[in-house]
Amino acid sequence: MQSIVHVCLAGLSSGMFIWLVASGLTLIFGVLGVLNFAHGSFYMLGAYSCFTVLRYLGANFWLGLLLGPLFVCAVGFVVERFFLRRVYHLALPYQLLLTFAFVLIFDNLVKIVWGAGSLSPPTLDLFGGSVPIAGRKFPVYNLFIIGVGPLVAIGLWLFLERTWWGRIIRAASSDREMASALGVRVPVLFTSVFVFGCWLGAVGGGLAVPYTGLLTPGMGDTIIIEAFIVAVIGGLGSLKGAFTGALIIGVLSAFGTRYFPTFDMFLIFILMAAVLLWRPQGLFGEVR
Amino acid sequence: MGKKGINRREFLKLTGATGSMLAAGSIGGMTFPRNVWAATPAIKGPIKIGYQAILSGTLAGYGQFHKYGAEMAVEEINKAGGIAGQRVEMEFRDSTTKGDVAIENCRYFVDSWGADFLAGIDSSGQALAIPAIIQRLDRVMIITHAATEKLTEDRVFKEGIKQIFRISNPTYNDGNGGAFVAKDLPAMKWATISPKYEYGYTCWKMFQETLRKLKPGVSFITESFAPFGTTDFRSHINTIMDASPDGLYSTEWAGELISFVKQAKEAGLFDKVKHVIFPVGAAMDVLEGLGKDMPDNIWISGRYFFRYPDSKTNNEWVARFRKRWNHYPAYVSETAYSSIHAIKAAVEKAGSKDTMAVIAALEGMEMDSPAGHRVFRKEDHQALYDVAWGKTKADPKYPFKVMGEMRVITAKECFARPPFEGPETSPPFKS
Repeated sequence: MQSIVHVCLAGLSSGMFIWLVASGLTLIFGVLGVLNFAHGSFYMLGAYSCFTVLRYLGANFWLGLLLGPLFVCAVGFVVERFFLRRVYHLALPYQLLLTFAFVLIFDNLVKIVWGAGSLSPPTLDLFGGSVPIAGRKFPVYNLFIIGVGPLVAIGLWLFLERTWWGRIIRAASSDREMASALGVRVPVLFTSVFVFGCWLGAVGGGLAVPYTGLLTPGMGDTIIIEAFIVAVIGGLGSLKGAFTGALIIGVLSAFGTRYFPTFDMFLIFILMAAVLLWRPQGLFGEVR
Repeated sequence: MGKKGINRREFLKLTGATGSMLAAGSIGGMTFPRNVWAATPAIKGPIKIGYQAILSGTLAGYGQFHKYGAEMAVEEINKAGGIAGQRVEMEFRDSTTKGDVAIENCRYFVDSWGADFLAGIDSSGQALAIPAIIQRLDRVMIITHAATEKLTEDRVFKEGIKQIFRISNPTYNDGNGGAFVAKDLPAMKWATISPKYEYGYTCWKMFQETLRKLKPGVSFITESFAPFGTTDFRSHINTIMDASPDGLYSTEWAGELISFVKQAKEAGLFDKVKHVIFPVGAAMDVLEGLGKDMPDNIWISGRYFFRYPDSKTNNEWVARFRKRWNHYPAYVSETAYSSIHAIKAAVEKAGSKDTMAVIAALEGMEMDSPAGHRVFRKEDHQALYDVAWGKTKADPKYPFKVMGEMRVITAKECFARPPFEGPETSPPFKS
């Protein structure tokens, strides 16, 4: 019993990080139609910039979490405005190539700026350490992470469904030309959505700093793969699908590691294959 | 002499005779010292060394520290007159962790760049992927980090690929050496969290086999293997805490060890499991990365630790290294540095850079190095040298934990012996 509780908690918290990355990825794909392979890099940049604020400006973690992602938004703006915008009309492979080039560029930039070695943030005493749960110590911060995921999901849903901006975004994502004809400034909208997606990824990276306790130049590469799997399972472009997918992957891999250690990675790919066979468009995806 | 690179160099020498002689005579405006070797026509310079280590991805820091060590050796050797009077040139390439990249680098170094010697390699998978190409290219390759014992036991000893040598200590220290440490601890039930690939499996297996022989009655109650790139160890930590072992053995390394230790500390693992062994925990990236977060009283070791041995050679080297790079040397810095010196010693001993002659010179060769006295075992080309184990403790002189209660498990005690078959070839040995 004690074990199952902790396996669930571990699964939920790792699922929330995947969700934060997958939400930005999904939003960008849903609206811009671009599969942004570099999204993991924004997660990495979020972590590094948050760490920098934390270490060099002597600021506290929450300030780092506020300022770091803003810097990443600026980077995202440059990427969209000057590069991605030129490939929207090209076939998907070109977009993938360009975003993959950014993965390499960002990985190397991080090495140049922050060094090739891993960085380890000092232990932060957030929320006063840990609480006992089922007879074991559990950091309050991890509970906070588990709470942040649904909050972001609800916030996104309210934003998209209940606000004027959300309506425009939905309109532009379902019919770009029509929205444009009706006076929506689509390029500005695309830039804003891309920057917002980057912000989500960067917040995920910033939150990961105290959680994993380590920053490495390739740290975005692992999570982007997981985020892609989540997006495929949930249905590309569906936020509901990404949230459900992230929960499933997080909890399933935690259970896999604990109870079926030989197959833990296999389980996830089996699930992905099964979903693709049963619903090729993903759990919540629409047939395009 | 049929090699493309050599032909080109000879061609250059013949056509631009005066120019190239001037170039060889003075480098960077300095007159190059010409000692007795200048008269030896058997060795033509420069001596070219192709070095590869991981410079990208999450382990990129390792490559950087290989580079520091190797570059420093090249600088010092060139300043002191080169190898056999000839200047040393090194090219450094990113090996990544992929086997095909390592093979491609070897080809490039020899076929396109004209390397005389090869060195480097971090991953065991890569180390097992390159022997065939090394044999075909026919160059001496000195492995400086990859630890799988299968490289020297199977590829070199059994299959006879004599071009390969290893200067760093292999899994014998991690597995068998760890068992010698565990034998003296009051722990009977052991568990592991280790990497989910060749290195992690082979060390855990060796640890169990040797500890069973050293201390009958021990049991190994649970294991959890984490794939390469794991950042969240919480599920693995749950597995261990559910099993409640007395001892934990882990060959997690680099950044993954840092994440693991931090998360285990949060979960209270070190309060519950009192006896912990990290065979590669004495790596500078781990010690500096964890700082005060490294718990006390954990047994750690590595391929070299800058505080051992307390010899003149080592202490002076550490001081020079710190002056040059403003860092403490990582263990790969020492093995990289010593690999260049091993090439120098072998070429000068052989009086030639011909592969066969250098292999003959390296076999059984003894050398003094920062890590202490090394000897390349003739049969499997594995360098034998002793490394320290110690229990982590704080020291006001350093901003990170160091080894207290140092003890040495010698290579003689814990390295498996040729022919690597039968119970008498693995520790414990009678003599």
